[in-house]
Amino acid sequence: MKQPAPDHTGPDAPSGRDLSTQEVARYSRHLVLPEVAMEGQKRLKAARVLLIGAGGLGSPLGLYLAAAGVGHLGIVDFDVVELSNLQRQVLHGTRDLGRKKTASASDRLRDMNPEIEITTYEAQVTSANALDLIRPYDIVIDGTDNFPTRYLVNDACVLLGKPNVYGSIFRFHGQVSVFSPPAGPCYRCLYPEPPPPESVPSCAEAGVLGVLPGVIGSLQATEAIKLILGKGDPLIGRLLLYDALEMQFREVKIHRDPHCPVCGESPSITKLIDYEEFCAGPAKARATAGMPAEITVEELKARLDRGDDVDILDVRNAEEWILCHIDGATLIPLTELPARFKELDAGREIVVHCKTGVRSAKAMTLLLGAGFRNVKVLRGGITAWAQKIDRTLSGY
Amino acid sequence: MIRVVLPYHLRTLARVDGEVQLAVEGAPSLRSLLDALEERYPMLRGTIRDHGTLNRRPFLRYFACAEDLSLEPPDSLLPAAVTSGAEPFLIVGSIAGG
Repeated sequence: MKQPAPDHTGPDAPSGRDLSTQEVARYSRHLVLPEVAMEGQKRLKAARVLLIGAGGLGSPLGLYLAAAGVGHLGIVDFDVVELSNLQRQVLHGTRDLGRKKTASASDRLRDMNPEIEITTYEAQVTSANALDLIRPYDIVIDGTDNFPTRYLVNDACVLLGKPNVYGSIFRFHGQVSVFSPPAGPCYRCLYPEPPPPESVPSCAEAGVLGVLPGVIGSLQATEAIKLILGKGDPLIGRLLLYDALEMQFREVKIHRDPHCPVCGESPSITKLIDYEEFCAGPAKARATAGMPAEITVEELKARLDRGDDVDILDVRNAEEWILCHIDGATLIPLTELPARFKELDAGREIVVHCKTGVRSAKAMTLLLGAGFRNVKVLRGGITAWAQKIDRTLSGY
Repeated sequence: MIRVVLPYHLRTLARVDGEVQLAVEGAPSLRSLLDALEERYPMLRGTIRDHGTLNRRPFLRYFACAEDLSLEPPDSLLPAAVTSGAEPFLIVGSIAGG
């Protein structure tokens, strides 16, 4: 796939990396810091940092890294500025509504600091373009808003050996770390798999405190600047947890997983994969492959006996129901299912069954397509249930 | 009492606000703590540990006293500071907002 054409703005790439009189004045508060000074400011000027996402996290990231004098900022985003963004995405303004975020960000950052170079990529990061996008940069900052892109960015950074400054937010909570194998773990070492889709609501569904990305994005910017300067103790091997309601920061140690599929001792991921499929969850992946997620009659019986909260959906016909059914089950014949989705709770686990498994597999596909995520098929259907669990039921 | 901090989506599921406090008899281990948690809040069964294997879900981790306990054997005893309630047991979930 062709790499998205970058849009360059700003002066030519710095040559010689010396600071102009204007730059000395602009960065004077840095220059008097012994930990930065002239050498550090030149390092910042020579640095190339890629921001993936120009939204909530990307806003403070872009502003502070531009203000700090990071010489080359790349910004990747494919979205446009919407009114609901402005509660937290301080990079954009009301007059930017409807504009591409990359264009809005570029204008704002150019105003913030015309001394730096900005390259924008109006594109979605994909397995086809991620390596080309990331390769020219020294540091990648993950400001994305979804699991597939986070795993994609992680894997691409590991494959290219680039540090990944990670931050994520949700409601009043934030997480920050620096993933930089082999010095520390990668994102997959921490979370080998994403949660099942829909099991954890998105910020759009559950909300996010507007100032939260300001805190977390600023922490990411701090880490990026420290990496460039080579000063301080980076958050490699440490995960910072922030709770805005409690106003509490907690730091925990995190370690490399020797079995990590991408940065471990024998990696199985040696090139970028299909991250939408990876994050779609095993149920959907198996359903897509024609292999519905299944539960055996013994497993279901054990779970019911210990009081697990499971809905049983019978998709046979009413006539079959009269012959036999599982106590507590709900009958919705397969032919009526699409019109009766509203009778089911998409937030609950549903075990669907028919006589032997054919119709329940079709029902599962329908349910997944309708947004139900926690669905399993009862292997062998009520026939297996009658044979192995409840012999009082009549077979037919 | 052992203090347990749940991720938001599990707090919602369990209908709790803030920390959960649990009394665990004997010398509390990872397993006995999670058993007690699931006994008090049956709706959490299958959300933290897999229904069948009881293995930790890969998108959650256990932390206490700044250490990652996620890969510890289930019968590992909890740190004394957790058992005494001085430090919470954290169940941290992955989040993706940006």
